Amino acid sequence: MRTAFFQAIELVFSGNRQLINIIQVTMRMSLSSSLVALLLGVPLGALLGTISWKGKGILVIINRTLMGLPPVVCGLICYLLFSGVGPLRHLGLLFTVEGMIIAQVILLTPLIIGNMESHVSDISPAIRETAKGLRLSTAKTVLLLMNESQYQIFASYLLGLGRSLAEVGAVSMVGGAIAFKTNVMSTAIMNYTNMGNFTIALALGIILLVIALVLNIITALIQWRLRR
Amino acid sequence: MKKFMILLLALAMSTFIFTGCGDSNRNTSQTEDSASDETADAAEEEPAADAESEESEAAEEESAAVDLSILYEEDDSMINNYSLLAVNPDAPFVDANGESVSDVAINTAGAKALTDWMLSEEAKTAAADFGFEEYGEHLFYVIEDGPSSEAEIPVATDETKNIRMSTTTSVNDSGLLTYLIPMFEEAYGYTVEIFSAGTGKAIANAEFGNADLIMVHSESQEKEFVDAGFSMVLDGYESERLTFLYNYFVLCGPSSDPAEVASAPSVLDAFKLIADGKYPFVSRGDESGTHTMEVSLWPEDLGITTDAASVEDYTDWYVFSNAGMGTCLTMAEEKGAYILSDKATFLTFKENNGVME
Repeated sequence: MRTAFFQAIELVFSGNRQLINIIQVTMRMSLSSSLVALLLGVPLGALLGTISWKGKGILVIINRTLMGLPPVVCGLICYLLFSGVGPLRHLGLLFTVEGMIIAQVILLTPLIIGNMESHVSDISPAIRETAKGLRLSTAKTVLLLMNESQYQIFASYLLGLGRSLAEVGAVSMVGGAIAFKTNVMSTAIMNYTNMGNFTIALALGIILLVIALVLNIITALIQWRLRR
Repeated sequence: MKKFMILLLALAMSTFIFTGCGDSNRNTSQTEDSASDETADAAEEEPAADAESEESEAAEEESAAVDLSILYEEDDSMINNYSLLAVNPDAPFVDANGESVSDVAINTAGAKALTDWMLSEEAKTAAADFGFEEYGEHLFYVIEDGPSSEAEIPVATDETKNIRMSTTTSVNDSGLLTYLIPMFEEAYGYTVEIFSAGTGKAIANAEFGNADLIMVHSESQEKEFVDAGFSMVLDGYESERLTFLYNYFVLCGPSSDPAEVASAPSVLDAFKLIADGKYPFVSRGDESGTHTMEVSLWPEDLGITTDAASVEDYTDWYVFSNAGMGTCLTMAEEKGAYILSDKATFLTFKENNGVME
């Protein structure tokens, strides 16, 4: 452990070209995939939480199943779709960061929908009452709902971000862990472990945790500002 | 209030990291005297971290170097040949439904450029010299009368720039490709994307149309690939399989050698000794070239194949690990087991005291 701590610090300050590239790719992949998933998931989750339609239960169950979609299955499906012989081969997405982002969005969106749905269905009766009483327009009701869900939206985003930073099954299949192109923190840790180099793997793990900490602090600060 | 809590959290985390770092400074400077101290420290950490601290301590103290040794080597039946195969753009590609796909994008010009370079005098000399200074032994040898090329290599264009190479972990983990490929990239402006996995998976990746050329080491699997029409003869060459580099597989095990394989008359006898005595053996179990080689060395009546079901009765001594060479070597070291490895990966492993750079 101690050697790994020491090595992690050494690695960060050595300005290793490969490490810098890995961090850049990781950030690009996690930030964009979690943002896209948030933009898709929040409206869909809010919609699912507010509607009173007969088939709603089925949709909720389907979404909850997708929340448990194993990353390797998602990775395998994307690999087959984007593969040189797959139906989407002309997009040229296999072994690219864009392909990894798509796989991540497929994994993250159901999580955010599920999170939002459970929260919104909790508060929507009260919001509806208030809107009725104040005779608010639909647009304003939606704004009110979003305002009341602020905390939950941040929590969902952090859930997505954490998941996308930690995920290894899907990204290693779709990305192929190609050095200087699609190698991210989690796949690099796996590669070093496969080579039997546990110290560097652990050092990368420590760096990944620190990155997660910094991102969480930034999000918490934004959240705190908005609340004030 | 919130801000205060965040600051507190950040402070706690940084204190944690810095004390960890300070600790390591103190302990490394005191080396041997603090050995008991360190074990006491290690005992306080979580069980998962235990193995880790032992691992790093082993790397620090020379006395605790790797015990795993080469016990049997340089037998003609243990030659490990590496071949380059270009992927045929008109190969009978099929999609996941088994329907044929005709317009798979394969960069044949790029594959030819890289092949020409790999078989040039420059690359061959570099490959033969690779690792000699560091390990005092050749990691790879060039086949003297193997295919060679003096063709002029065109500079990359936008269409031929990206070359996708599917290869095995042994050439990648030993550092050979990370040593060779930048020379080629810098001279001619190509970008080579290396996908590394066991030979079986590397070939499957090419059959899915995701590679322009492959570099693997399993004759039977290569021949299947060629026979199925997935490979092509490049201009200026005589065969699909361009076997140009080799080294040896080595049988490794604990230096005490309980099965006495070191004195076996042949490698087949050595494997028989291990099987008869049921000494622990770690197998790659991932259909890699090393795994294919290993299953061909066991006595036939055991019926060991690359299929996990075939070793169901031997689980008390045969470890079907399904992992990379480095992981398997670490496992064999921990268990005092025998293992078949390519020499390059083993020497890198041994040289770094059980750590692969």
